[in-house]
Amino acid sequence: MIKLNVNGEIHEVRVKPYWTLLRVLRNELGLTGAKLGCGRGECGACTVLMDGKPILSCLTLAARAEGKKIVTIEGLAEGLKLHPLQEAFIKNGAIQCGFCTSGMILSAKALLDRNLNPTEEEVREALSGNLCRCTGYVKPVKAVLEAAEIMRKGGSR
Amino acid sequence: MRKFFRPREYFKPETLEEALNLLAKYGESARPIAGGTDLLVKKPPEVEYLIDIASLPLDYIKNDGEYLKIGSLSTFHSIETSSLFKEGAYRILAESAHDFGQATVKNMATIGGNVCSAVPSADFPPVLMVLDAKAKIVSLAGERIVSMEEFFAGVRKTVLRSDELLVEFQIPKPPPHTGAAFYKLGRTSVDIALVNAAARITLRSDGVCEDARIALGAVAPTPIRAKGAEKLLRKKEIDEALVEEASQTASEETKPISDVRSSAEYRKEMSKVLVKRVLQKSLKRAKGE
Repeated sequence: MIKLNVNGEIHEVRVKPYWTLLRVLRNELGLTGAKLGCGRGECGACTVLMDGKPILSCLTLAARAEGKKIVTIEGLAEGLKLHPLQEAFIKNGAIQCGFCTSGMILSAKALLDRNLNPTEEEVREALSGNLCRCTGYVKPVKAVLEAAEIMRKGGSR
Repeated sequence: MRKFFRPREYFKPETLEEALNLLAKYGESARPIAGGTDLLVKKPPEVEYLIDIASLPLDYIKNDGEYLKIGSLSTFHSIETSSLFKEGAYRILAESAHDFGQATVKNMATIGGNVCSAVPSADFPPVLMVLDAKAKIVSLAGERIVSMEEFFAGVRKTVLRSDELLVEFQIPKPPPHTGAAFYKLGRTSVDIALVNAAARITLRSDGVCEDARIALGAVAPTPIRAKGAEKLLRKKEIDEALVEEASQTASEETKPISDVRSSAEYRKEMSKVLVKRVLQKSLKRAKGE
């Protein structure tokens, strides 16, 4: 039995030693925002934040996450009010199939939490672990830069 | 033997002693897990006990003047962003950590894991080799110090026993007029290296090469030193022609294989190019240019 802090809520979960955090998030907690893509650390679809840093939940044991603060895409919006990054992704058409989107937004959030004025290069580097197979990176990068601008001007968070 | 990765127990020791006791107790059926980016991809079915060492106090970077000491649980992110590696020969630690992989993996993978998994294409071993790093290894029986060159025993094989943990890398202070450089060739900058190379050059005050070290990865079962090439450079004034000759020699010292990523011929040829680049850059840096 472990206790997980996910999006500020404490969950008690019975886990096997080899269960990954991704499996627990999706199958035990019903948080399906993080996706299982490759399962081997290539694609980044399973990205979540652990103590503020983007990590791959498919290569993190659930037991390892005990005592850490986990944030998934479900934890970003406040009620019906979306995070500026989510707004910017929608507005810029930075989503096609959506499979990579939650990971991309969380990687971008970790960047903006420590640097609200990133260069395009820094944004691209922050998203380097999140592969998109639909279209590419131009629109997501644009969305992140736009969200940064909105947040600098005092848009929420 | 089972076919799947189904460890029956998970431990999260808080102290080194606790961890070493567990390793001693369970031996070959136990496996320490740090970042998990190698173990949970490989998922070795023989593992019965997982010993999660992430809570041990081994994530540190210290400089005591004589030695730089890096805890084996330091992540590539910590190395990349450390203020200790902004200049001098230590700069290649941050530079190679930067090139290591994507942002997420850099937050997870540890340098101890990168070295202990002993994958021939790993980026950090050649860097540690040219910096003359030693590994501090501990077990209940005591501690031993092993140089990076003696550490690797083959593809995914090291001299580490199942009851031992690699806890620290010790890097001696480089002499003045020392420059180092690292270069990785991959399909993309975050991909596994097709070839990687590191060099470190120390010059005397009159500009003659006092010491040269060259190491390559992904061109043999273990990371290697190009000792023939190093010998060519020592006690000589290094010019373009000598760099060319040393690069050729280094390339001849490699024993690459052909695989899905590239052919042996290509790796051999690229070894030459990479060694040339790291030598040129190290030389420039040693001269303070």
